[in-house]
Amino acid sequence: MKAKHSKETVELAPSYLTALVPANHAEQHEGQHYSIPLQEVKVVFPHGLPYRFQMQMKTFNESCLMVRKPALELLGYLKNTNFAHPAIRYVIYGEKGTGKTMTLCHAVHYCAKQDWLVLHIPDAHLWVKNCRELMQSSYNKERFDQPLEASTWLKNFKTSNDHFLKEIKTQQTYMWSKRESTEKGRPLGEVVEQGLTRVKNASDAVGVVLKELKKQCPLGSFRLLVAVDGINALWGRTTLRKKDKSAVSPEELTLVHNLRKMVVNDWNGGAIVTTLSQTGSLFKPRSAYLPHELLGKVSTHWTLSFPSRFPITVSESLRAVISITLTASGFNMREPVQKKGEMNCCFSATPTPGSWNGSLLISDTKESSLAATAAF
Amino acid sequence: MAAPMAGRLAALGRRLAPPARAWLPGLTQVRWSRYGPSYLEPEVNKEVYRKPLEGLSEEEKTQRELKTLQPIKATASNVTSSVFSDPTISKFTNMMMKGGNKVLARSIVTQTLEAIKRKQIEKYHQASEEERESIECNPYVIFHQALKNCQPIIGLCNIQKGGKTYQVPSPLKDNRKRFLAMKWLITECREHKHHRTFMHEKLSQELLQAFNNEGPVIKRKHDMHKMAEANRAYAHYRWW
Repeated sequence: MKAKHSKETVELAPSYLTALVPANHAEQHEGQHYSIPLQEVKVVFPHGLPYRFQMQMKTFNESCLMVRKPALELLGYLKNTNFAHPAIRYVIYGEKGTGKTMTLCHAVHYCAKQDWLVLHIPDAHLWVKNCRELMQSSYNKERFDQPLEASTWLKNFKTSNDHFLKEIKTQQTYMWSKRESTEKGRPLGEVVEQGLTRVKNASDAVGVVLKELKKQCPLGSFRLLVAVDGINALWGRTTLRKKDKSAVSPEELTLVHNLRKMVVNDWNGGAIVTTLSQTGSLFKPRSAYLPHELLGKVSTHWTLSFPSRFPITVSESLRAVISITLTASGFNMREPVQKKGEMNCCFSATPTPGSWNGSLLISDTKESSLAATAAF
Repeated sequence: MAAPMAGRLAALGRRLAPPARAWLPGLTQVRWSRYGPSYLEPEVNKEVYRKPLEGLSEEEKTQRELKTLQPIKATASNVTSSVFSDPTISKFTNMMMKGGNKVLARSIVTQTLEAIKRKQIEKYHQASEEERESIECNPYVIFHQALKNCQPIIGLCNIQKGGKTYQVPSPLKDNRKRFLAMKWLITECREHKHHRTFMHEKLSQELLQAFNNEGPVIKRKHDMHKMAEANRAYAHYRWW
């Protein structure tokens, strides 16, 4: 499949495709891409891949992730986790467009391959803004439910972790209403079904799932990875309002409340990987990327690691991206023109993508790589 | 058109006196330039300067000498010496621009080119081996070909005779043809499409249709040709 393209075109970057599994990625693979079969992508990433990556997948009919240093570091830590100790919280931060979400997806793919249970929240910002139906929670009168967001998340959770849901059993009876309940000892899949069929109870179903997983993970039958994109949404502000036009704070949302409990490191047997994101955030300036700017006071409690900016120089990664997009488009360009075009791209892409406001230069590495492909 | 009259006077003015500008009674110069007549035009293309001295013809050698002596005008800010700059694309962006928002216009055009490229690559991957060679993936080639396909050959101009205005078929200058093609493309996307779709999506669709000689803009060009054909009888009203 790939060999057909690479025979025809001029190789500008070293062999850029490795068919290895994330577990075998090492420092020598830095800068190279590895592809995930599309069937696997549907199972492992029903949600969570950034929009531009999905467009690339649709155009080239393949999904290739680049192996980068922060991801390798994170994978190294995940490989050496001690499951007897409390779950370590990893925070990936960096400026806009540097690859935080993709690093998270790399870690998620690795853990999925290692047969961990992956709890992937694609974008926590979606839970604190633009909610069409905000209902008062039946469980706790103070809190608010979000049936739509909860049910979409449950559907995607089911796709990625089907086999686990049959094995894990509830340890408590849950009464959904006067007539419906889930007995103790039933598989967790039934709770998810309940949340999907009765959308009113979806947020509570999510809460139940999180609670059960947290209680049962220390017992050791499975490993849990909690991957949250945009963790700063849980401690920020919301744009949601109550009926009397007063603002809703994040604690008053059931989903956020339960997720906050999940992300506390009082359980063991897994890891928590999170990303700070300004892109979907509310009431934060565009230039904010450091943990104390985005998280506020909470940042003092968190382990700080993994700045997502770049040990791989931008021009190297650009060359790799350009060469891979060119071969995927099936091109046979003369070398001098290609090199000149690449030089142009490297000059116009700045080392911190997204740091140019309203300038005519193409300010995103992905955009500039696409401008290069558009040129050829 | 009123243009021929002023053009003829300007030509007359140029013939009357040696310098480029001439004073004529009753005719004031409207357009002026900060640069005097001795200023040369800038050369943006890097390849021209990379040629070795021996490979130049006599004319080019004199040009080079002039450049060392005479002052040169400043380049416009939208002209670059990069591989990606294209005068047609710049013209198109300027025509798309509203209220001086060049950033937005330029981003729309880049997104359009990207969208065209993506659609063509998808088609390429889904096509069989024989069809693959015929699929054009370069969005610049598609853009230029689409514009060429949209350019009318003959246009209509209003001529007043005996109190009535007639639509008279007349030849069009190259600039006018290019302008009409771009104008029709942009107005088609702005007015006749759904207002909630993105401009780059609409434009890419239109350009691909024009590239294949189908679509509403090509139809408009054909309508213009038909009108010109229908008004053949009035062709002799034109005196230039």
